[in-house]
Amino acid sequence: MLKKLFTIRNLVILLLVVALFVVSGMLGLKVPLPEVSIAAETVIHLGPIQITNALLTAWVAMILLIIVAYFATRSIPKDPSSASTGDLVPSGFQNVVEMLIEGFHGMVKSIAGHWTPQFFPIVMTIFLFVVLSNWLGLIPGFGSIGLLEPAHNAEATSYVAHGAILTAEPVHDGYILVPFFRAPSTDLNFTLALALVSVVLSQYFGIRALRLSYFKRFFNFGGFKDGALMGIAELFAGLLEIIAEFAKIISFSFRLFGNIFAGEVLLSVVAFLIPYIVSLPFYGLEVFVGFIQAIVFMMLTLVFFASATIGHGSEEHH
Amino acid sequence: MDVEAMRALAPAIAIAIGAIGPGIGIGILGGKAMEAIGRNPEAAGEIRTNMILAIAFAEAIAIYALVVALIIKFV
Repeated sequence: MLKKLFTIRNLVILLLVVALFVVSGMLGLKVPLPEVSIAAETVIHLGPIQITNALLTAWVAMILLIIVAYFATRSIPKDPSSASTGDLVPSGFQNVVEMLIEGFHGMVKSIAGHWTPQFFPIVMTIFLFVVLSNWLGLIPGFGSIGLLEPAHNAEATSYVAHGAILTAEPVHDGYILVPFFRAPSTDLNFTLALALVSVVLSQYFGIRALRLSYFKRFFNFGGFKDGALMGIAELFAGLLEIIAEFAKIISFSFRLFGNIFAGEVLLSVVAFLIPYIVSLPFYGLEVFVGFIQAIVFMMLTLVFFASATIGHGSEEHH
Repeated sequence: MDVEAMRALAPAIAIAIGAIGPGIGIGILGGKAMEAIGRNPEAAGEIRTNMILAIAFAEAIAIYALVVALIIKFV
C-alpha cells in the first residue's frame, strides 16, 4: 500500500504542489485573514430575502441527494410482479445504495419495532442530509473560494496570528473572504431547523400512538391516588418532562453546530499555524466527526420518536 | 487583571471547566462499553449503539458550556 503511494510520479506531484505554495508565498500574493464568523455570510441579496452561503450549500446537498435517489431507483421496475427476475436483481450503483439503506433499516428496526415504516424515511433522510452536508463542507474550495470584501465592511473581527497565538482584532485594512459555500451545519439556523423538525415530529408520533394519554407524561394527576405527596412529586416530574423537551431542542441544535463549527475553526487555525502537513490528520478527524454527528443526530431522533410512542404508565411497570 | 484580559480568558475558562465533567463521563462510558464488549462480544452492535447514545447525552453538557463560551465570546 505504502509502496504504491511513494512512486516517483506522486513525489513529483507533491514537490510541485509544495513549490507552488512556496513560490506564491515569495511573490507576496495577498492571503485574506483567517476570519471566524459565527453567522453565515450573505452572498446573494434577493430584495428582503438574503441567501447565505450555508443555505446555498444545503441546496447543493439536497440536489445531490435527489440526483442520487433518481439514479439509484431508475432501474427498479414499476410493477414488480410482472418483471422478470433479471430486472429485479440490483446492480452497480443501485446495489451500493441499497446496501447502505438496508444496513440502516436493520438498525432502525431493532429500535423502532413495528413503527419502522413511519420512522425510517424521516431518520434516514436526516442522516443522509446531515452527513452529506457535513462532508460537502470539507471539500477543498468550500469555505476558501469566495469574494474578497474590504475588511471595514465586514462586521466580524478577525483573528490574526501573532506567532502561535491568535488574537481577535478589529481589522482596519486588508480583505476578508466571503466564501460562496460553507458547511450548512456551521449555521445555527440549519441545525435549529432540524432540531425543531425532530422534536415536533416526536410530539406528533406520541399523540398519534397514545392519543390524549400522551399528555399524561407532562400533566400527571394520577399520583394523587397515592396521597398528596406523591401527586405533587408526579406533577413536578411532568414539569421536568416539559423542560426536557425544550432542552432537547437546544442540545440537538448546538451539538451538531458546535461540533462542525469547532471542526471548521480547528482546521483553519491549524492551516494557518503549521500549513500543508499538520492539517491532514485533523482533516481525517473531521470526516469522522461529520459522520458520527450525523449518526448521533439520527439515533437520538429515533430514540426520542420511539420513547414518545411508549406510554408513560407502561414504561414504569415493565 | 483588566477587563480586556478577563474577556479573553472567560470563554476559555468556561469551556475548559465545562469539559472536565463530560470528559470523565465519556471516559467511564467508553471504558464500561469496552468491558461489556469484552465480556459479550456478540452484543457488540447493541452496546455500541447504546454507548453512542449515552455519550451524546454526556456530551450535551459540554455543549452547554460551549454555548456559554460562544455567548461570552461573540455577544
